[in-house]
Amino acid sequence: MVADPILYVALPLLTAFLLPIIGKINKELIRIVPGLLFAFLVYNSIALFSKVSATHTPIIVEIAGWAPPIGINLVYSSFTGFIATIISVLALLVWAYSYKFKKLEFDNSLKYFVLLMLVTAGSIGVILTGDLFNQFVFLEIVALSSYPLVAFYRGRNGAEASFKYLLVGGFASLSILLGIVLIYSQLGTLNMADIAAHIDEMPRNIKIVSFTLLFLGFAIEAEMFPLNGWAPDTYSQAPGPIGAVFAGMTAKAGIYALIRMIYTIFDFSGAFEILLIMGVITLVVSEGIALRQENLKRMLAYSSLGQMGLLMIAFGINTKTAVIAGMLILFNHAVIKSLLFLSSSFLVYNSKDKLIKDAYGMGKKLPLTAILFGIGAFAIVGLPPFSGFWGKLYLLMASADANLLGLIALILAVSVIEIVYYFRVVNGVYFKKSKTEIEVHKPRWNASLAMIILAAAIIVVGIYPNIIYDYLVNAADTLLDKASYISHVLPNLASN
Amino acid sequence: MKRIITILLLGVTGYFVADAVFSIPFGVDKLNIAKEYLLNSPEELKVANTVTAVVVNFRGFDTLGEVTVLFLAATGLGSILFRRRKYHTGLNPQREAPQASRIVQVGGKLLFPLILLLGAYVFIHGHLTPGGGFQGGVIIATGYLLLLVSFRKFAVKHSSLTWVEAVAGVTFAGIGLTGLVFGKDFLENFLPTGVLNSLLSGGIVGIIYVAVGFKVASELTGILDTMLSIKVEVDEENEEN
Repeated sequence: MVADPILYVALPLLTAFLLPIIGKINKELIRIVPGLLFAFLVYNSIALFSKVSATHTPIIVEIAGWAPPIGINLVYSSFTGFIATIISVLALLVWAYSYKFKKLEFDNSLKYFVLLMLVTAGSIGVILTGDLFNQFVFLEIVALSSYPLVAFYRGRNGAEASFKYLLVGGFASLSILLGIVLIYSQLGTLNMADIAAHIDEMPRNIKIVSFTLLFLGFAIEAEMFPLNGWAPDTYSQAPGPIGAVFAGMTAKAGIYALIRMIYTIFDFSGAFEILLIMGVITLVVSEGIALRQENLKRMLAYSSLGQMGLLMIAFGINTKTAVIAGMLILFNHAVIKSLLFLSSSFLVYNSKDKLIKDAYGMGKKLPLTAILFGIGAFAIVGLPPFSGFWGKLYLLMASADANLLGLIALILAVSVIEIVYYFRVVNGVYFKKSKTEIEVHKPRWNASLAMIILAAAIIVVGIYPNIIYDYLVNAADTLLDKASYISHVLPNLASN
Repeated sequence: MKRIITILLLGVTGYFVADAVFSIPFGVDKLNIAKEYLLNSPEELKVANTVTAVVVNFRGFDTLGEVTVLFLAATGLGSILFRRRKYHTGLNPQREAPQASRIVQVGGKLLFPLILLLGAYVFIHGHLTPGGGFQGGVIIATGYLLLLVSFRKFAVKHSSLTWVEAVAGVTFAGIGLTGLVFGKDFLENFLPTGVLNSLLSGGIVGIIYVAVGFKVASELTGILDTMLSIKVEVDEENEEN
């Protein structure tokens, strides 16, 4: 079978266009075909990623037959490939989880799966593309497929959250586009490697403005404080599995764009400090707000923003250990947060306000879901033997290496806050009695399977971190080596 | 106070952005990639309209993305645009308005086929003359808008829109993937390019632009129809009260 990075984008788009016709043939196919697609994407990831890991050279895909600076290209390296693999596996699990989602009727399931495929394709496109404008197009696809997903249940709150996101997202797009226009006006190219090679030719004032505009736009998508006011609403209004999609895919696309811009495209050394400081603020503020939430989904959303803050800190320290820590946190956030969103949506399935106290006593009624939620909660605060431990440990090691002792104290203090609010929920689920009678909705086997796979990944990586460690080191090396990125994409640059 | 700070911040931001924008040297040759476009589109691709060559070939991947964005906009609009009413009306309020005058109706009927013809002409000749799939598609959608405005009872058949939309989208992505089958790149030309300036030139560029034309036309028509017939949902909770 063939494996090609272009299929990550081309096949989901083709299937999304085809799905309305397929639905006219047989309604059941609407649920099955996306699953086959996601399974193929996972296969594609495994085939490509093992190839890249073996050869240590990125796969550069030209599109429409034009070599990189002229045409658009995709870069599948150990760094981008790692994130693309996480996203495709997550997409398959989200599909498995929502295969028999009760609230999905025919029309809705068509729309749901089309949007799920497009949000996956868009997020992977953002990560694989080597062209700045193309990245903008994929961010648009991600944003435009997220708006209807937020307003999926057609409620007043959903529409409001979606509209808020639409306004902020529209501003982000405008800002990114203006930044790209300024770069193109100066360098006459849109290819990231080409821009990176010629960035010193840009006048300083234009460079600063375009950097600021791009940073602003990508930071909105990466949910950086204070640009993340829209995020908790979208997480809490969207259907349960979509919370996992937002945490694991769209936020990853945003943070990736930010990292790529700071590490590769621009040459400002101060950019790392900005990322670090904004990360610290995001972490502290989000975790502080999370502590006070009564609504379970909002609590998870704020905790997710806190994790994005940790990611920004890790990538802002800018050392090899820190980037490895960043990759670990990225992996953990995608896997653990997805598990938390997926399991919590069963804990408060029939509750109207999704309050934490509605989940009280669920430990007896939904033993499997409750234990999976518990694993997720223990893992995200960083307890051994779960994978969350390694992310935090490496981050502390990186901060110690960089002599940022205050940061260590801060991360540990915030971890205590995390422990407080997560253990409050776990305690409630197991040891408190529910006051209101809420009908329990048991997960079907497909949803349970998806959650068990996520939990298994958390435990396996927690006990044997070595199975992903080598890949992470490769990924970190690839990200930090700007010169080899440029020379792989543009082999003829030196001769010109 | 808050307002003054906002205005100050906007002013500072505006100053720096304007400073950057106005220092762009307009009219100066800064063709880096663009000169390759100008050189290659008539020579190698045999596409007379360079803009089309850029949109469909050099940056065809972006166009596929933009077509998807439009598809998403059409899909998502229905889920955000809806109203809740306490009472249930069979008809949408806009559709209860009086009919348009005879002159508009007859004029609309007369113009409709001509508009369709113009739209089709624009997207079929996209690789030769200014215009193309997006422009042609929009022209066709205006034809449908004319009918929707002149005849209150006129409704677009959603199933046929779905078919046109799907077939056009699949054609675009499918032609791109066919390139891979021939051992070429995604969206690379695999057909004979023909003679410059003739209708059957440019290989896959013309075919893709026709598909884009159909897709844009059907999606914009769908959006217009959705906006004119915003779903009125009965608010059950309020009905009980």
